[in-house]
Amino acid sequence: MRRRIVVCLLALACMAGARAAWAQQSRPAEERLGGCFDGYLDKAQTEQAAAQQPGQPAAPAEIRIGHLHASSGPYASISMPVYLGLKLWVEQMNAGGGAVVKPFGRKLPLRLISYDDQSNPGTAATLTNQLITQDKVDLLIADSGSVLTAVSVPIAREHKMFLFDPTGTGAAFFSKDNPYIALLADPVSTVWPRFLWEFLKSDVAAAGLTRVAILYSTNDFTGTQAASIRAALKAPGSPVQIVFDQGVPTSTSNYAVLIDNIAAAKPDVVLELGYVGNDIAFLRNLQESGTKFPMVFTLYPGIETSTLLKNVGQTGLAGVFSYVTALAYSYPPEVGMTLEQFRGSWEKAYAKSGVEFGWNAIAGYVTGLVLGQTLACTDSMAQLDVRKSVFSLSGKLKTLIGTFELNEQGAQIGELTPIGQIAPAGSDGIHFTVVYPSAMSSGKPIFGAK
Amino acid sequence: MRRGVGEYAAVALPLLAALALAPLVYSNELLLFNFIMFLILAQGLNAIYGFTGYLPFGYVGFFGAGAYGFALAVMHLDASPLLAMACAGVAALALGVVLTPLLRLSGAYFAIANLAAAQAVYQVISNPALQDITKGPYGVTLSSVFAPALSYGVALGILAATLALVAWLRNARLGLALQAIREDPVSAAMAGVAVVRGRTIAWLLSALIAGLAGGVFAWHISVFYPETAFDLSFSIFAIVFTLFGGAATQLGPILGVLLLYGLYNVIGITVPQYFQLIYGVLIVLLVLFLPDGLASLATRRGFRVP
Repeated sequence: MRRRIVVCLLALACMAGARAAWAQQSRPAEERLGGCFDGYLDKAQTEQAAAQQPGQPAAPAEIRIGHLHASSGPYASISMPVYLGLKLWVEQMNAGGGAVVKPFGRKLPLRLISYDDQSNPGTAATLTNQLITQDKVDLLIADSGSVLTAVSVPIAREHKMFLFDPTGTGAAFFSKDNPYIALLADPVSTVWPRFLWEFLKSDVAAAGLTRVAILYSTNDFTGTQAASIRAALKAPGSPVQIVFDQGVPTSTSNYAVLIDNIAAAKPDVVLELGYVGNDIAFLRNLQESGTKFPMVFTLYPGIETSTLLKNVGQTGLAGVFSYVTALAYSYPPEVGMTLEQFRGSWEKAYAKSGVEFGWNAIAGYVTGLVLGQTLACTDSMAQLDVRKSVFSLSGKLKTLIGTFELNEQGAQIGELTPIGQIAPAGSDGIHFTVVYPSAMSSGKPIFGAK
Repeated sequence: MRRGVGEYAAVALPLLAALALAPLVYSNELLLFNFIMFLILAQGLNAIYGFTGYLPFGYVGFFGAGAYGFALAVMHLDASPLLAMACAGVAALALGVVLTPLLRLSGAYFAIANLAAAQAVYQVISNPALQDITKGPYGVTLSSVFAPALSYGVALGILAATLALVAWLRNARLGLALQAIREDPVSAAMAGVAVVRGRTIAWLLSALIAGLAGGVFAWHISVFYPETAFDLSFSIFAIVFTLFGGAATQLGPILGVLLLYGLYNVIGITVPQYFQLIYGVLIVLLVLFLPDGLASLATRRGFRVP
């Protein structure tokens, strides 16, 4: 009887996770084609270049792109938008006849093989192997986030397969002895907060706000950002003093006591670095507590703006500082769609999918753009040539999130996000005022607004 | 004991031979490795649950301890992988000794306490304050010892030893004593069975097996985070596989792993969105019609399942 109860409980736990399949729609849309980076080609030139030349190797029927995503579990909220953004790019390319593949001198259709790892690193590892050894994909893309990317890194390296890493920002992935990885759509965590610490040490300190509290979630993404900020603020000559520094589990969902503890340290600036759920809980608790700090910075209002606005509200976000991503700052793209075009395509394709449009959706699309340019530039489909092609884009490829730039280990050091402050807009909307760096700024920071 | 050798030869040797040759015909070696790892875990769980009736929901705690025992030995002692494997076993054994008092509990209380203990170990390992020692929540990288072929072979060796242990338990005096304890500890004690000693031996053997599985997992995968090594799904899968096949047998957990983990991968690759539904329905059907696992199909008809 006891055994039956135990097994019944296990069965119920499994079934509780059951859910309907993602309703996914796709709509082809016009895509601007970029050429190899000897200079950009317009569409006609690209098609001319795509004509089969004598002596070129026989082209395969399709280019197989292997990818992992998580439709359930803790990483689904960051993984699904990346997947759908990438899928949208593939569908657009195929609607236009495929992608230009330089080694074959013609356009080839793309086939996206994306497995669902359900946020389980063990499953992600097995499926990465599946993509390489069984599906024999031509290009390999990791899942989103550092935990799920981590397991793919050694496997790709072992099989000498180049790993396109959309958003796994863990600094440990990138080393001189591993040529088989590049980070595409997020700056590496050690570099990403650069504008933030510069802002704190210059404009914020000049305004007399020098006491900083750091509250971070203990995961690779935010933990590394916290470490970078800490190191910069403690550097010799820094005008800033860290008065509170604490890591909390990523599963933390109640910040009430922590906010009281922070207030007791009397900081001028509070930096809360967490995932979407952490930021929502922190900002809600902050609003409910009535506690005020001259400056509050959190990560996700600028990254997944719609989700934060829906869950925290206009009032809760007003005055908060955050990274300003392409969602709120226009970078004129030289390749691919503008933000407005991409958002329109997304809404057409995925309005009913239940997946919010945000930074990660853009990251998925940008991953596709890098893939497309790589195929257009590579000398062959050998993985080291693929790598060479990816690195040839560094500093030259400009998409809707800015300039793609890699260091020699493959870590993304471009696409840095400026710092902005949120202000209410209309009855229930918000807008960002870029406050740093000055070259990009659209207004002055208002301290004490939170 | 001769029967145990015969059962081992009939069940374990063909399986081991198949797994040893499988990489020659199927190149997704990691999938094969995962099969081996779950076979080890299911048999390790079998040693404690099948023979004593104690269901450790936090079995993953030993697995994680083994993984981190391996990682710490490599990171801080520059240990060779084989020495680090020994450290993995020692780490899990040490945790088993610390948790031995849990055996005073029984049933759901033991399962919950064990789960809580595993979570406590996870929290300690992932504590940022211990970053210099365990790398805290930021994960470990063991690329210096990454050797998938060798670690696959070692995993196979551990599986061979684990199957031998279960075959021995099935037929040895200790195994029979444990089964007597499982059925009625008071009667077993009255009959002269050393209840506490028997349970403790089974508990520590089970912990050792999980620790070695964790160690070889860390070696094979080489980059992992605390949430990877302490993922509760390791416990759940090991329990489900064991129950599905039939506990207290050598063959039952093997069938459970081959069928259910095979199904898991087929579903995971073809229709992942229905995975939980299909798995859940399957388990409900199992509970309703085969509560003692697949092995009971044979035992009900009077056949002995190895």
